[in-house]
Amino acid sequence: MPLRANLSLLDNIALIPQYRHNLDYETTSAQAWNLLLLTGQESAALKRDPQLSHAERCVAKLLRAAIERPPIILIDRPALLLPDTHYPPFLSDLLERLADHLNDCWILDYRWNEPLYPPHLLSPAPR
Amino acid sequence: MPAIINFLTRRGAALLATWRIWRATFGLAGKVVVAALSPAVYNSATRTVVMKQIYFTAVQILVPFTLFAALLSFVLIQIVVGTAAEYGLSDYALEMSVRLLVLEVLPLVTALFVALRSGSAINTEVALMRINNELEALEDSGVDTLRLEFMPRVIGGMLSVLSLTAITSVLALVLAYLAVYGAQPWSLPDFARVMGKVFDGAILTGILLKSLAFGLAVTVIPVAEGLATPKMLFMAPISVLRGMVRLFFVLMFIEVASLAFKYI
Repeated sequence: MPLRANLSLLDNIALIPQYRHNLDYETTSAQAWNLLLLTGQESAALKRDPQLSHAERCVAKLLRAAIERPPIILIDRPALLLPDTHYPPFLSDLLERLADHLNDCWILDYRWNEPLYPPHLLSPAPR
Repeated sequence: MPAIINFLTRRGAALLATWRIWRATFGLAGKVVVAALSPAVYNSATRTVVMKQIYFTAVQILVPFTLFAALLSFVLIQIVVGTAAEYGLSDYALEMSVRLLVLEVLPLVTALFVALRSGSAINTEVALMRINNELEALEDSGVDTLRLEFMPRVIGGMLSVLSLTAITSVLALVLAYLAVYGAQPWSLPDFARVMGKVFDGAILTGILLKSLAFGLAVTVIPVAEGLATPKMLFMAPISVLRGMVRLFFVLMFIEVASLAFKYI
């Protein structure tokens, strides 16, 4: 889903529980800040969408999904979100940092990109 | 004969398209006004988004626009006061300046400014959101786009036009007083008498309604035009062009209707 261009990264993440559960901004921004600290992206907290790098925007979108702890998060073709990053190790590191806040996370990518991923991110089932 | 049929078919299709967009515009305006007046719509997220929208639409441009309005008011007041003195009509200079600036020029200039700055941006944003299927993505995930995307923009635009008109009008009144009476306080009773004559109940209601109509137009028309954009990227600039042209004519129509109501 798109980030709101006139909200900061922190506000964009906090907006989700504000909308879903009508929680006050102080509570939700604290949740969002904790997630940003976990990912090491707290320096981007006050940036707005046009100022974000691809990696920061990807983190923002992942955290907006993760803050609600859905059963599954699907990252669809991460190269579209991270065109300037060697994304498999980046995603691996990001998912490890957020392990306690994610239930299940699937990465959907082209088969020819399989060698790029570390073994623990690959599904054991034949695809 | 085929040429005539072809011509009529194309004109008919254009007419139907125009009818559809106007119907969508009025429908959206109605929905947004009802939503904006419903307290249940304002949850924590909506309040945050509305506040941000007001900041970016009204507060951020306050200083530069106020400075420009002061300059414009100063020049127009000098012209009116100078011309009135030439024709021996100095007694009417203040009333003429106030009627020209506060009732007509400043509300229209404010609406045009907000239309150019925020209306065009809103039109582009909504058109791109539609082209990129972002509106469908939001709705599929249970987000009410009217509440979270469109209503905040409309409220921001309306408050922007209302507040900027009010601030620049007060500034114009101060400048008119200084131009006519000079920098001294003893003419305040005369000034108050002229203001009482100009701003009767009907005129004040008229300014408020006109500013509200301007505010609604500068946001609802761009949103409606953005929502009507075909899902092709090259249509985004065409959508903005159409939206701005329609907006211009609507603003002018509101202004002409207001003039006719007051003076004819």
